[in-house]
Amino acid sequence: MSGLNGQGAGGGVTSSRNGHDDHDPGPSDAGTEPDARFTLANERTFLAWNRTALALVVAGLGIAQVLPPFPGVPWGRHVLGVPLIVLGAAVSVVAYREWQRNQAALRHSTPLPRSALPQILAGTITGLAVLAAVVLLVSAVR
Amino acid sequence: MLPDDPEDLDPGLARERTMLAWVRTGIAFAAVGAVMLRKQPVVGLIVLAITPVIWVLGRVASQQIGPKPHARQLLLITVMVTLVAALAVVVALVGHAPASLRELLSRMGV
Repeated sequence: MSGLNGQGAGGGVTSSRNGHDDHDPGPSDAGTEPDARFTLANERTFLAWNRTALALVVAGLGIAQVLPPFPGVPWGRHVLGVPLIVLGAAVSVVAYREWQRNQAALRHSTPLPRSALPQILAGTITGLAVLAAVVLLVSAVR
Repeated sequence: MLPDDPEDLDPGLARERTMLAWVRTGIAFAAVGAVMLRKQPVVGLIVLAITPVIWVLGRVASQQIGPKPHARQLLLITVMVTLVAALAVVVALVGHAPASLRELLSRMGV
């Protein structure tokens, strides 16, 4: 079972600690090149999060622009759609930072850092679901 | 010369799976562009134009044999998603479609 570039995991930690240049080498250059399959899997994960981000953007856009307005709640569509779009932008930015952190962890053969994205996504969607229920109730009462 | 089994060249077909992930990401951009096209033709066309860029990026990235990860390409994806989200917020708040690119730019305060 050999990697695409013939270098397995391991040994990455020592090479970075014994390096004797004073300036901190960038996260993309420190450590050892991991198995290419790990690098590619990290890249796919990043791309998958970005598709999720685009899906959030398109959902927010659909709510704000395609949905008919809630009766009696003129701000209802925007209050639901705009946060979804902002969440999409945030997911994309956080996904890039996590890709960088994962790549650094792979290079140093350290455990992968915990991802904040599931919490961000679940928390925001829960909040928006509550908000959607409020908008619907206000619309029904008026 | 290609080996008989594609697994020898690309174990687990990781490279091919990654290339397909790039293609799916490009299609996702196309979907956003198509939705925008309904109400905002100019913005929709801008977003649709991103699709072939992602496609080519995926091709280039998957053909690179070297071990270097594609930090630049991935950062470009994040920048584009953020840009599309910014456009989407403008589209969501502006309401009806601008008739021309000039009208769009004047609305955006350019």
